[in-house]
Amino acid sequence: MSRGGGRGNRRGGHRFDRGGDQRLREAKDEQYQLIDDSSEIIKTFKQFALQLDAKHDRHERIVKLSRDVTIESKRIIFLIHTINSSNDSKKEQILDQANFRLKQVEANLFQAIAQELVGEDPHQFLRAFSAGLQEYIEAKTFYQFMVSASIPHWNEIQKDLTYAQEATEEGAEASEILTPVLPTEYMLGVGDLTGELMRRCINCVGMGELDACKQLCGFLRQVYRIFAGFDTFGYKEFGRKTYVMRQSLAKTENVCYTIQVRGSEVPKHLLAQAIHMSMDNPEEDEGFY
Amino acid sequence: METAAEMNKLFSDFSEYIRKEQDLKEKIRDEVKNLEHIAREITMIMQNVHQNPAQDEVLKCCNSSRANFATCKTHYAQLAALVPVNQFYHFNDMWRFATQKLAFLVSLTFFLETGKLASFEEVAESLGLKPEREKGFHLDLEDYLTGLLQMASELARFATNSVTSGNYDRPIEISKFVSELNAGFRLLNLKNDSLRKKFDALKYDVKKIEEIVYDVSIRGLRPAAGNADQAGN
Repeated sequence: MSRGGGRGNRRGGHRFDRGGDQRLREAKDEQYQLIDDSSEIIKTFKQFALQLDAKHDRHERIVKLSRDVTIESKRIIFLIHTINSSNDSKKEQILDQANFRLKQVEANLFQAIAQELVGEDPHQFLRAFSAGLQEYIEAKTFYQFMVSASIPHWNEIQKDLTYAQEATEEGAEASEILTPVLPTEYMLGVGDLTGELMRRCINCVGMGELDACKQLCGFLRQVYRIFAGFDTFGYKEFGRKTYVMRQSLAKTENVCYTIQVRGSEVPKHLLAQAIHMSMDNPEEDEGFY
Repeated sequence: METAAEMNKLFSDFSEYIRKEQDLKEKIRDEVKNLEHIAREITMIMQNVHQNPAQDEVLKCCNSSRANFATCKTHYAQLAALVPVNQFYHFNDMWRFATQKLAFLVSLTFFLETGKLASFEEVAESLGLKPEREKGFHLDLEDYLTGLLQMASELARFATNSVTSGNYDRPIEISKFVSELNAGFRLLNLKNDSLRKKFDALKYDVKKIEEIVYDVSIRGLRPAAGNADQAGN
């Protein structure tokens, strides 16, 4: 190897350690020659890249589906809010439409999510579809409540998100795929439902449906009761939901109180105003979509 | 009232569900404590390589670690028995840290023994984990990768200490190795998660090691690059 820079070949004479530079260059060259495409390390990392990409892509596809579920579920909830119980045929129309749209969400969006989850651990992708699932459960339970004054168990809802796969010609047996309805997700969705029920209660007063208010209040109280009884230490979201639920319940109970106390002295159509004025803080409106 | 009975069923079903999960989590926690304990022991063993970087001493530490990795296999097997099929990712936050640490220690040991990168399968096998989720309780790829990044950090320190004790070859080896790792990691499309953040720190490790190589080369301390001539002073 050459020593130093060589007398006549270097520009400028101010660098005295030509040997050091040369050695450093050689050191770096050795390294970089060895980092080439056929290196084992590079090959394996290319494989890793494919694996990670596949997982991220699947996650993104599920996120997109989940967003669509959220949007449609919110719209279904708004649709249900337009029900005026005094008009029975309109009510039935609206409920039919809501049911139809819920079924669409189940058949299209959730089935697509179920397809993405085939052969995967669904918990790896739960964060991708949790929001959509909870919003859907809110819509579904709201719908069911309007029909029968009760809400379906998560096992019932799971049936709607389970899809039969026929046996294929290639010999695969008939099987089932599903989007899992985890009990915690279900409960959190039901927690959100209470907010809608409170809204409905207040709307009912405006429509003069005072019995509906009492019914809603009673149901809300039932839900709060079980939430207050859960031992959800370690599940952070439950604390917040229960706190909000308690406030929704209190508002609903105040509405019923006002109806009781002032219902006989104020004409029905003015009762709504009276109730609004009796409510303490104007609630933060989440805003409609 | 119909609703009251349904509500009570929801209450009891959900309470049962939570109770079972909490019980399981407690058992998992206990098992993970065992793994973390071993990880700490091995970490202490491997710290000795910095104190005395002579090759035979280093290999002694590696052998010691290997014995401990074998114990990990038992604990991972017990952990695997606790976790229901297809719920690995429901609970994996509980053992993720321990697995990353152990993956790091395995790949560090392997490098010190062989000068090469421990493959994903090798690390899995050393710890008694399956290389694929379908085959059972497995090693998660991102945990393996996080382990590699921890190893790079440790090697940066090791390079420093090797020079301090007069071993001028090793930093060159390490530099080549970590640069290759860096090139590999740059092929990955990472999301903005913790793996990405740790990867961002890799360049500092690369730089530190390059500086060590520079320090050593410019003073002609590298025996491999020709003679130890005193042209540089």
